Amino acid sequence: MAAPSMKERQVCWGARDLYWRCLDDNAEDAARCRQLRSSFEASCPQQWIKYFDKRRDYLKFKEKFEAGEFQPSQSTENS
Amino acid sequence: MALQALGPRVWPRLSQFKPPVLRIPGSETLYVKSRHWLGQSQPQGPGLRTRLLITALFGAGLGWAWLAARAEKEQWRQQQRMEALRQAAVGQGDFSLLDHKGQPRCKADFRGQWVLMYFGFTHCPDICPDELEKLVQVVQKLEAEPDLPLVQPVFITVDPERDDVAAMARYVQDFHPRLLGLTGSKEQVAQASQNYRVYYSAGPKDEDQDYIVDHSIAIYLLNPDGLFTDYYGRSRSAEQIVDSVRQHIAAFRSILS
Repeated sequence: MAAPSMKERQVCWGARDLYWRCLDDNAEDAARCRQLRSSFEASCPQQWIKYFDKRRDYLKFKEKFEAGEFQPSQSTENS
Repeated sequence: MALQALGPRVWPRLSQFKPPVLRIPGSETLYVKSRHWLGQSQPQGPGLRTRLLITALFGAGLGWAWLAARAEKEQWRQQQRMEALRQAAVGQGDFSLLDHKGQPRCKADFRGQWVLMYFGFTHCPDICPDELEKLVQVVQKLEAEPDLPLVQPVFITVDPERDDVAAMARYVQDFHPRLLGLTGSKEQVAQASQNYRVYYSAGPKDEDQDYIVDHSIAIYLLNPDGLFTDYYGRSRSAEQIVDSVRQHIAAFRSILS
């Protein structure tokens, strides 16, 4: 299976960006963005979809972490 | 003073005395000036001055000798370092790979050129294209400056199983006309990656046998002697890399004739 060309990559990235923007607008509600999800899945190789999903999870986690959502719990503080 | 108190009668007799003499071992005899005889108090003028002068000269001599010895040691150390670098320039970081036109290439082929090198693979989702775009931008910005030598961009695959010569040719054409793709057998790629301390590890295959290769991400700069000079991670922008390369080019002195 040949690697995607530059054009194919850009199509895939465009579809991914649209899908991600939809998720941003709808507070991660995947049900609202089903159409964009299927166009995303059609434009990109399967491995890339898995990779981008993991990447999205990571970016969301990083945002929460940097916003200070994860603090050490009181019970473990003095241990 | 007591002499004066003795009055003028004593004075003529005292005047027949020779003026006192100061002897310092090893140096010429010094005469205290006759003014001292006239009772005016004088500090130990020339004597002290001469002694200070001699001490200063001696100190300066010691200091000069120390500096000379230090300079010599520094020079010897420099020579040792040059010798080690010359050996490294030839042996270290060598590779034996095929370019995207099928020609065998090794590090010596790039002697005399600045090289910006990136390790990646063609099935890469986003990082490799981004980094290669950045690399190409750097090369283009440097090309725009007429008094700088041309920098050779190189892309080496860490996925020899899928990235054969044809795949590399298809991939590099999308970036820059001078971007050279290098591939080879599994052993050759492993050897090249080891020489540049590049980590890579193919991930699990999915249903259509596709997989992603995890690998260290860096753009390496090699100088015209073939020595590794600098590396740039993901956080460096194209502008920062251009500045750094420009500085290295300006500071470069070849150690190979």
